[in-house]
Amino acid sequence: MNEMRDVIKRNQDSQSAANEHDEQKGKYMTFKSGNEYFGLKIHYVSEIIQIQAITVIPETEDYIKGLINLRGKVIPVIDVRLRFKQKPFEYNDRTCIIVINVKDMLVGLIVEKIAEVVEIKEENILPPPTIGRIDKGQNKYVYGIGKVGDTVKLLLDPDKLLNDEDLSVVEQVNDMSIEEE
Amino acid sequence: MAEEFSTDGMLDIYLFENEQLLEQLQERVLEQKDEECFDEESINEIFRTMHTIKGSSGIMMFDNITAISHKLEDVFYYLREYHPENVPHLELVEHVLQVEDFISSEMAKIRDGSPADGDATDIIAELDKFLDKIKNGGTAEEKEAPRQNVHVEPKQFYIAPVATSASRFYKIYITFFPETEMVNVRAYKCVYALKELAEDLLYSPEDILTDERSSDIIMEEGFRILLQAQCKEEDIREVITVGYDIQRVDIFECKAEEFLQGFDFGDQEHVIDLDSSVEDIEARNPAQVVEGEELKLSDEPVEKKPEKPEKPAIAPGDFVIKSREPGKQKKLAKDKPKSEKASYISVNVKKMDQLMELIGELVISESVVLQNPDLKVPGLNLNSFNKAAAQLSKISTDLQNVIMSMRMVPLTNTFQKMNRIVFDVSRKLGKDIEFEMIGENTEVDKNIIEHISDPLMHLVRNAVDHGIETNEERLDSGKPDKGKVTLSAKTEAGKVWISVMDNGKGLDRNKILEKARKQGLLDESRAESDYTDKEVYQFIIQPGFSTNEQITEYSGRGVGMDVVVQNLQAIGGMLDIESTPGLGSTMNLKIPLTLAIIDGIVMETAGSSFVMETSVIKEFVRVKEEMMIHEPNGDEYIMIRDECFSVVRLGEWYGMKGYKESVEDGVMLILELEEKKVCLFVDKLVGEREIVVKPIPSYIKKVKGLSGCTQLGDGSIALILDAGGLVE
Repeated sequence: MNEMRDVIKRNQDSQSAANEHDEQKGKYMTFKSGNEYFGLKIHYVSEIIQIQAITVIPETEDYIKGLINLRGKVIPVIDVRLRFKQKPFEYNDRTCIIVINVKDMLVGLIVEKIAEVVEIKEENILPPPTIGRIDKGQNKYVYGIGKVGDTVKLLLDPDKLLNDEDLSVVEQVNDMSIEEE
Repeated sequence: MAEEFSTDGMLDIYLFENEQLLEQLQERVLEQKDEECFDEESINEIFRTMHTIKGSSGIMMFDNITAISHKLEDVFYYLREYHPENVPHLELVEHVLQVEDFISSEMAKIRDGSPADGDATDIIAELDKFLDKIKNGGTAEEKEAPRQNVHVEPKQFYIAPVATSASRFYKIYITFFPETEMVNVRAYKCVYALKELAEDLLYSPEDILTDERSSDIIMEEGFRILLQAQCKEEDIREVITVGYDIQRVDIFECKAEEFLQGFDFGDQEHVIDLDSSVEDIEARNPAQVVEGEELKLSDEPVEKKPEKPEKPAIAPGDFVIKSREPGKQKKLAKDKPKSEKASYISVNVKKMDQLMELIGELVISESVVLQNPDLKVPGLNLNSFNKAAAQLSKISTDLQNVIMSMRMVPLTNTFQKMNRIVFDVSRKLGKDIEFEMIGENTEVDKNIIEHISDPLMHLVRNAVDHGIETNEERLDSGKPDKGKVTLSAKTEAGKVWISVMDNGKGLDRNKILEKARKQGLLDESRAESDYTDKEVYQFIIQPGFSTNEQITEYSGRGVGMDVVVQNLQAIGGMLDIESTPGLGSTMNLKIPLTLAIIDGIVMETAGSSFVMETSVIKEFVRVKEEMMIHEPNGDEYIMIRDECFSVVRLGEWYGMKGYKESVEDGVMLILELEEKKVCLFVDKLVGEREIVVKPIPSYIKKVKGLSGCTQLGDGSIALILDAGGLVE
């Protein structure tokens, strides 16, 4: 947990430096949603905040929960579980929002549980399976499967996570899990 | 010291500083344009400004700017030192403005990255002529000292000393490496560095910045400096270090006499008076030399002057920097009441934003602390906590207000520009026009100011050109001979009112109607007399509408008024025209104070907060169920005082849950926008607030009826309703 904080702190502190990139290379912030663990490249993560009051915006997709006030900045938040078409969950004061910065846009991701920062080596990342439903051109935002010890993290492409058409991650995940086994 | 002399990073600063200087210059000049002559302070100020611009332009190698500012500096030097009588003041004002325009336009070129290639020779020639004129018009004794433009003559750089017994004198020889480039600039850097130490400084060759040959001389003979300072040799060596450019520095201490002899050649001096020796300078002025007066500096000029009046110690073009003004006020212009001038500091916008963000964060943290659930434990004694909390809230509220006010800037500069326009146009048209500003300190959001500058300019030009009659016409109609344009600003009801008023002939109703008929703007079925004055005046804001038969340089082409109105509408402003034939017309501009802050009513529906701009809300009504009319298709109407409105239920509109079903529990808002009226039903009203408008993040697609969002005092976010979207 400390390590995670350090990395995030560094993210905020300095924008520059290639060596910083090196340092962050291969590091992933992981969180749990449903039964799966997901990973995001650490350099997308701007900060992690506690859940706070969300202003609902009418007439938007259900996974867009609304707007929060991040120190005077108004940023949209989305519920990752709803985004993945998983069952909704109750928010409590342990629920966290991961604020990610994608192409200079800040978006908050409401996740069930934050796990840890892990390092995943290039060779341990497998491309997503290409069998089954994936042919339909649906699954895009899981771009790889990272192996950490004997667990598996689904690596997310945040850009596609925010912008791609709806899809059911559960289905994909099931496909993948089957393949993994 | 040993760094490459580069101008890249300096360019921004150069432009910024000079722009400010020019702005101040213009303000000062216009302030006194109606006086008989400039007062002493202004002369000094203009002189100093020109001197500074000349210096920095010299370093940046913008030769035309250097030359022209040098010339104007000459003129003001002469004015300052010799107080010539009979200076044609208006002509002088025009010259100054001309120079200012030239430099401004050159700087605009520089900013755009194009070469500053303007030709200053005409203006310089005119200034030369002008200088000759005031010299010849001067008094007899001043004629004794005719002088040429000494720009090209060799001069020594001389900095007047404040000699004290502790002073030491040095001769410094600097030798540069043979292959060094731009030695003159490097030499200047040394001089510049030494100024810090120097009480008195003399160097040769002297015009190192302007004369390119000086480089060769320095290369051949070395660069020589005479220095009087209260420092040790080591201090000098610290300032001038041997590096890749400087090969050797020789420093010899010498006696005061030697020092005063100066270099073997040269009897002209550049004087930089760093401190307090105003008397000395005046004493060296031939017209004022008093025999036997104690002179602490170079005896040379004093002795030589009587014999060689053509070479006085200070000539136009010399560097004379006074750090203190003489105590006595010389005759000259009437004492002007000092206008209050705030001092400014320019701050990077990013830092401002950061501050704003931090304050937002502070407000949120504050509410987190003050409403902390830990405080709810029964039995706590919170007296002193509550006191401290109240204090904290007050400070953070003040802090918020201050940061908001930082966006606001006074209209002063914009108004000053108008002053300039009135001056220029009225001079060209030969009209005698007075210009008055009222309430120029009124503050407006910076963005707004940028938008109103052009419309105002059009209106002011129109007033001067169309509005005010020629001097003869005024005389004929028995009006006071001076036309007057009044520009005033005030804040009222959250709006800024700016009016341009003239005491000219007013709008000619018949002329406008005639023109309107020609252009087919009139409604055939209406009698001309049926049009109200207001309606008639509205015609002049039609594109291409001008009643001026002759097209002048300034107006009459019929573009202008429509542009004015367009620009105003872009920022939510309005134009209102009043006019009385024979007495003048007034153009009133009504502009919102700021684009970012609106007055809004905060309301709640189904637990969510919404904001509606106050100005579109006509009234709030509590209604009874029986006033409702339900259509079978679900549409609802309501009868209020015999008027029928369609009803929008906000909660239903947005498909929210848990809003109040019965109209008797909530509040009806009657909205009116562009003649359309609609009733909006919400759960309850919270209150009226000033709302800082923020856009909804682009990630969320546009929702109909929402125009933005805002942060409420407790840190929560409310959505701003767009009345336009709802009325549709």
